Amino acid sequence: MTRAEFMARLRQGLVGLPMSTAAEIAADYDLHFTDGLAAGRSEAEIADKLGDPSRLARELRAESSARRWTQEQNPSAAAGAIFGLLGLGALDILIMLPLVFPIFGAVLSVLISGVAVFVVGGIVAVAGPFFGGPGGVLAAVLLGVGLMGLGLFMGGLAAVLTKWLIDATVWYARLHYRVLKPALDSQPAYQA
Amino acid sequence: MPETIEIQLKKGVLTLCVLALLNRGDSYAYEIASTLSDAIDMGEGTIYPLMRRMQSDGQVETYLVESPSGPSRKYYRLTDAGRRALEAQRTEWRGFVRAVETLLDDAGKPVAESAEQGVEQ
Repeated sequence: MTRAEFMARLRQGLVGLPMSTAAEIAADYDLHFTDGLAAGRSEAEIADKLGDPSRLARELRAESSARRWTQEQNPSAAAGAIFGLLGLGALDILIMLPLVFPIFGAVLSVLISGVAVFVVGGIVAVAGPFFGGPGGVLAAVLLGVGLMGLGLFMGGLAAVLTKWLIDATVWYARLHYRVLKPALDSQPAYQA
Repeated sequence: MPETIEIQLKKGVLTLCVLALLNRGDSYAYEIASTLSDAIDMGEGTIYPLMRRMQSDGQVETYLVESPSGPSRKYYRLTDAGRRALEAQRTEWRGFVRAVETLLDDAGKPVAESAEQGVEQ
């Protein structure tokens, strides 16, 4: 592969990143060619040692979206990070799914029961006094307010757990997929 | 599968190698890439994602140096956090190597003997 071919495929793969970031990355690789040529190596040799430009671009994009999540912490950044890592093939779906579904399911059920407890608490606080349950009016109101507090707590817990889950997913994938391209080339059966 | 072990090992120690290299002196990406490529046979292209990541983790920082020929060059140096990471990872690595060495030594002994050792402990 020539220098021009490598750079074209790299730039193509970096589409979607902020312009300044993509330009900075491209400049890094371009300078690598300049340095390599100055050291007496051929363009083909340098490109070969660098590895597949499309794959490098995917890795750089995933890294960039993971960084956005650590800085912004909003749903769009979370989706970007997870899809970026999926595109990289970093998450072993088959290994992760049996683990991930129960965990996400558990968090979701905490959230749903939190909402339900909150609503029931509201009903008890408002309607309780009129039905004259055991302990009188005050007990019913206190029970209702207490349940609403518990509901809020469960909702908050679910939010914290969700954030922690996404952090853990990004961490796992980054840890798992720092790639050594030539080594992978020589062993196509290895699909992390 | 020796290749698999090799890949996993290199993946794990690449950051440590870069930290150790920069601890010797500031350097630029091409120099880091070619040094590590010679030393541990890694893909040179992977150094760039790694350097960006280490930069966003605050382990390294960059500064520009005017070059007599061509554009100014981006040098990397360790931050205090980077030096702390190097110390922590160096200790971890040495401990790990020692543990593996011990296991490999034990593996050379006859089975019965090591089984007895297991009971004693």
